[in-house]
Amino acid sequence: MTRHPLTRRRLLTLAALAPLAACGTAPSDTGRLRVAFAAGGSKESLDPSQVSLFVDQARAKALFDTLVAYNADTSLRPRLAESWESDASGTRWRIRLRRAAFHDGRPVTADDVLHSFRRIADPALASSSRQYFAKVDFARSKAVSPTELALTLTAPDFEFPSGWGAPGAEIVPAGTTDFTAPIGSGPFRFVSFTPGGPAVFRKNESYWDGAPGIDELEFVPVNDETARVNALLSGQVDYAHDLAAGTAARLTGDARVSLLEAKGTTMQGLILRLTQPPFTDARLLRAVLSGVDREALNRVALAGRGEIGNDLFGKGLRGYAAGIPQRRRDGELARALVREAGAEGLAFALETSDVDPGFATAATLISQQLKEIGLDVTPNTRASSTYFGEIKTKGVAALTRTATLPVATFLDQRFRTGGSNNVNGFASPEFDALLDRAAATADESARLALFGDAQRIVHDSGGLLAWGFSTWTIAVSKRVSGLVTAPPNTFDWARFDRARLS
Amino acid sequence: MPGHTVRRLGFAVLQAMVVLVATFAVTALLPGDAASVVLGEQATDEQVATVRQRLGLDQPLLDRFGNWFSGLVTGDLGRSLVTGAPVTDEIARRCAATAVLAGVTLLVLVPLALGIGVTCGLREGSRIDRALNAVTLFLHSIPEFVLGLLLVAGFAVYTGLLPATAAGTDFTARPAALVLPVIVLVGRQLCDVARQLRIGIAERTRGPVAEHLRLLGLPERTVVLRHLLPAAAAPAVQQLARAVEGLLTGTVIVESLFAITGLGTGFVEAVQNRDIPQVQGYVLVFAGVVVLGNLVADLVAHRLTPRRELVTW
Repeated sequence: MTRHPLTRRRLLTLAALAPLAACGTAPSDTGRLRVAFAAGGSKESLDPSQVSLFVDQARAKALFDTLVAYNADTSLRPRLAESWESDASGTRWRIRLRRAAFHDGRPVTADDVLHSFRRIADPALASSSRQYFAKVDFARSKAVSPTELALTLTAPDFEFPSGWGAPGAEIVPAGTTDFTAPIGSGPFRFVSFTPGGPAVFRKNESYWDGAPGIDELEFVPVNDETARVNALLSGQVDYAHDLAAGTAARLTGDARVSLLEAKGTTMQGLILRLTQPPFTDARLLRAVLSGVDREALNRVALAGRGEIGNDLFGKGLRGYAAGIPQRRRDGELARALVREAGAEGLAFALETSDVDPGFATAATLISQQLKEIGLDVTPNTRASSTYFGEIKTKGVAALTRTATLPVATFLDQRFRTGGSNNVNGFASPEFDALLDRAAATADESARLALFGDAQRIVHDSGGLLAWGFSTWTIAVSKRVSGLVTAPPNTFDWARFDRARLS
Repeated sequence: MPGHTVRRLGFAVLQAMVVLVATFAVTALLPGDAASVVLGEQATDEQVATVRQRLGLDQPLLDRFGNWFSGLVTGDLGRSLVTGAPVTDEIARRCAATAVLAGVTLLVLVPLALGIGVTCGLREGSRIDRALNAVTLFLHSIPEFVLGLLLVAGFAVYTGLLPATAAGTDFTARPAALVLPVIVLVGRQLCDVARQLRIGIAERTRGPVAEHLRLLGLPERTVVLRHLLPAAAAPAVQQLARAVEGLLTGTVIVESLFAITGLGTGFVEAVQNRDIPQVQGYVLVFAGVVVLGNLVADLVAHRLTPRRELVTW
């Protein structure tokens, strides 16, 4: 037997194992707040006009300012804009700016605001906030002085200032096109950022609204919810965004963390497409509205931590039609309507996905509840990353959710004929006229009353079954103080400049 | 041997081609495309149409594959549909974490499997053999994410001994963040490799060759390490190559569980974004690793047990 002692021995000589220096957890840096969010991966940018994810919005809030900001009910508070007024027609607006400076020391001027709004309105940029500035006639808008600008609209809109506080309406220095190391006027300065990776910002000592209470802010991408909670519980981060209801229940009473639970912030709903059978038949629409048990859905799909919905968006927000009586389940009426329409045993799919932790349970429950009234409904799970794009054109019934935004904006997008997000295919000249009248009404209470009338119409025939509102849960470590509970998209959410570390 | 290697390589290239064509087709068949993903929930139809045109998604599938393939031949993997950056940039950025993870896993796995395999093989049926077998089998049968969560709960969340995730750090800065992910990956693969060795050793230690060597008066150590182990190691080496494949799938789960920015999470993200060129880039890397791993394993196994040794006695 020929042997190859050398080669064989060499093959079997094992490399000594480098011992792993287990150094435990790193010493905590009191000046740096670490916050964990689900991230968007390599497509992320710091361009504030592109804020599709909450992490994008939180970073934009740290680096930039908006002219106004939303209170918890989406009423406005001034930020960079000190004051604003319109003419009697609601087409000409004047905005006066407060004294504020960008991180490089340049003052924030009317030109910067115009440049920012122009960018957002540019169709090529495909900004999610574009609709708020679609009516601006930039050719006739101008900077009156460094601190004052005049904007002209193509149609009256007394709700126009709401758009200035929307996520994505941040002000950037005039001429900015590159956002790899952006300059803003916000409470934090840019230090470093990798798309899909961490972002580090340092406090802006000369912030016009007072220097932040922490030295540094670090965004840590953790997409998996369980991993976010684990990172928080083991002290790797001090803030974990967006936790499931089950996790919130588990962490209640845990001495290591406090929960920031914004009640009823996210509408959970079912879209019924009115342009296709079966919901071209109004009786079947009414049957489904009466056949769904909203209490049971809240108890099970939202773990009892949410609120019951009344088929309208924006419970608790400015302009919400609170006077409309709560719709309750009426199984007999629903069954009778199904029979009357001759639709017993009618089969259709209920589109769902795992975009939201409550969707799967809700889809199962709704299917069962509708089976009880004689409809044969089966959940159809679609891929989460393309779900909202797909349900625009596919299926007849689909679960949806909408976070906090002004009620007027929601009505405009969701129910106006040809609205940008009118998935349900609702079309009513009467409703559109109400919205137009409201937009042209200067008096706020009269305007909100008109929005209330518009909501009465869609409550019955809009094709949206808003069955509940889920709670938005954030957990922070006991080291953190100064953060308050607020719905995402509103100003006090993710205000890390107000955080303190002990 | 050279002929054997060339044949193996040729076959490997063919395999990789089939995988690439299949991946392209499957990703293209997924519902939705990069344009709708990039634009998000609020996109209007016109916006989607504009972006589709810009990304060339409105061209026929065959043309797109042709373009991509002609780029590949010239060594150009194309650009990501989502970021516009070269596909290789993203892969290079994520490579390090996964390479460290897989490398350290192998560094732990090989000696551990050797030790367990030889120990159990020599003491077949003993208490230690049964105990080690039970442990490795348990580790093998428990899914990665379950084991990972148990370890995180025990070693990070409740005791604070180790970091729970790699969030906001990298392995060079905090090697401790490697411990739990490596345990999970090793645990999954240990059983197969150790078992192959165990069986090989157990069979040979009773066989005529071992008998003969012992009769010649060679010490038992020499008999086992010099003569039995190399032959017994051949199937284990091939099993190790399969373990490398297992590691690739394992890293996808482990990386998301421990918030590691690596190839696994990158691949999932690329699929979710319907970013076909980026997906193809990852598939090329994965296919390359698998093919190379198997090739090396074959050659090593060949070297350990040259088929000719019996003939040219």
